[in-house]
Amino acid sequence: MSPTAGLGLKLDHLAEALAESAAGLWFEVHPENYMSAGGPRLAALTAVRERRPLSLHGVGLSLAADTDPDPTHLDALKGLVDRFEPFVVSEHLAWSTHRGLHQPDLLPFPRTRTALDRIAGNIARMQDALGRTVLIENPSLYLPLTGHAFDETDFLAALVARTGCGLLVDVNNVHISAFNLGYAAEAYLDALPARAIGEIHLAGHSPDDGGSGLLIDTHAAPVAEPVWALYQRLIDRIGPRPTLIERDDSIPAFSVLMVERNRAQALLMACEAIHV
Amino acid sequence: MSELLDFQDAFVAAMAGDGSRLSPWLAQEPDGLAGLTVYRNTIARGCVDALAANFPTVLSLVGEDWFRAAAARFAREVPPTQAALLDYGEDFPAWLDRFPPAHDLPYLAGVAHLDRLWTEALFEAEAPVLVAGAFTALSPEDLAGTRVTLHPAVRVAVFEAGLPSLWVAARRGSESLELSGSPEGLLLCRPGSSVAFRVIGPADAAFLTACRAGLPLAEAIGLAAEADPAADLQTLFATLIADGVFRPLDNGTPT
Repeated sequence: MSPTAGLGLKLDHLAEALAESAAGLWFEVHPENYMSAGGPRLAALTAVRERRPLSLHGVGLSLAADTDPDPTHLDALKGLVDRFEPFVVSEHLAWSTHRGLHQPDLLPFPRTRTALDRIAGNIARMQDALGRTVLIENPSLYLPLTGHAFDETDFLAALVARTGCGLLVDVNNVHISAFNLGYAAEAYLDALPARAIGEIHLAGHSPDDGGSGLLIDTHAAPVAEPVWALYQRLIDRIGPRPTLIERDDSIPAFSVLMVERNRAQALLMACEAIHV
Repeated sequence: MSELLDFQDAFVAAMAGDGSRLSPWLAQEPDGLAGLTVYRNTIARGCVDALAANFPTVLSLVGEDWFRAAAARFAREVPPTQAALLDYGEDFPAWLDRFPPAHDLPYLAGVAHLDRLWTEALFEAEAPVLVAGAFTALSPEDLAGTRVTLHPAVRVAVFEAGLPSLWVAARRGSESLELSGSPEGLLLCRPGSSVAFRVIGPADAAFLTACRAGLPLAEAIGLAAEADPAADLQTLFATLIADGVFRPLDNGTPT
């Protein structure tokens, strides 16, 4: 099947999501929001899954923590993967747990050889537990760290080579990180191993209202034009890939999100026509 | 200790205010600290948003500013221990009870406790529900000895003052919130796709408590009558069945 465009599922939009007839539409959720014994959220996701392909996009496994993934969390994730049979499972190149406490964010680290060993091991543990390969997403960065032994693209390529994982390229994160840390987003995208890329994320960002001059990955605005341009550049090079519109704050009507989703869908179809 | 853990220790210390711990890893100190604020704000917001979702009645009573300030402080003192935040805040009601600014609002911890029970009911396991006809095949003796089990989503709380009515009124957006002096209970259950709740009297509370303790129906009914001699026990039991608070009987015979 040709790669198509999907939407992050908002439960406030459940009725419209279930009724939507667009060809190729799929949905993505954070599995952490469905890690309960039962209840209406899981029932809603079941109804969505009966109609549409689903992607599980984890935000809490903390693969870059200096410890093994939390077995309870991994078990819960495995339960959701078995129940909902997602077409893709993804996680982030980041950490959030530290000495038993959880920081709900995707935190940075120096890309050293030690970090590479630890994260490759954690991705292997995740893939072994789930019985499938996963995609790893590039983070949005705000802190100019020293002590990196690898560029982020080389680090991601090394994880792919070591674990067989794929990549989820968040083009908005590439744009933000390149702006915040002062490098070229185009060169970053061009350096990613094309065959490993299994999904693309598009989202909106906002300037820091604290006045720092940083761009923040708020998911509270439409996808910005420079991000669309980077997306076009990426798919021109690698071909069409499943593409998600993410929106997690200041959420507009479902139909407004569908307009963005349909824009991505049209670009994918045009790209498909060229890449056949 | 690994260099990765060294960094993570320093990062967490820096977010807690000791920015100098990160100096070995920061290229440009002033910019670095601005970035640290972005992470700190995102983490605080994640915790506070999760608490706001789980304690909507507390939020409606104290307002957005008071709630977010208190929730941010709670999150610093009792950070999440799991990535799944849908359950976050188990300790929030007890923490509010000890939180000095909440002392002007003596019912707040109780309201938080009822919000917590609502969240528990929302995410509990699925289970089938006892239907009204289940007892028709039983003889009166068998019926008296039958034990009924509560559905996993059922929660019952009993208060000496009328906190449940206040919580229900606040939950429904009522402006007039008065705390009556009479004892009340609250029953929460999840008969369909959402959590249902109603204020209950002492007979219902005694009956449900007896069922929870595994007592046979005859004893549960006796305790309900003792708690409120005026209660119509037949209607009470039928209403609880209609509420969907019981699991189906294990089998037709008493144990």
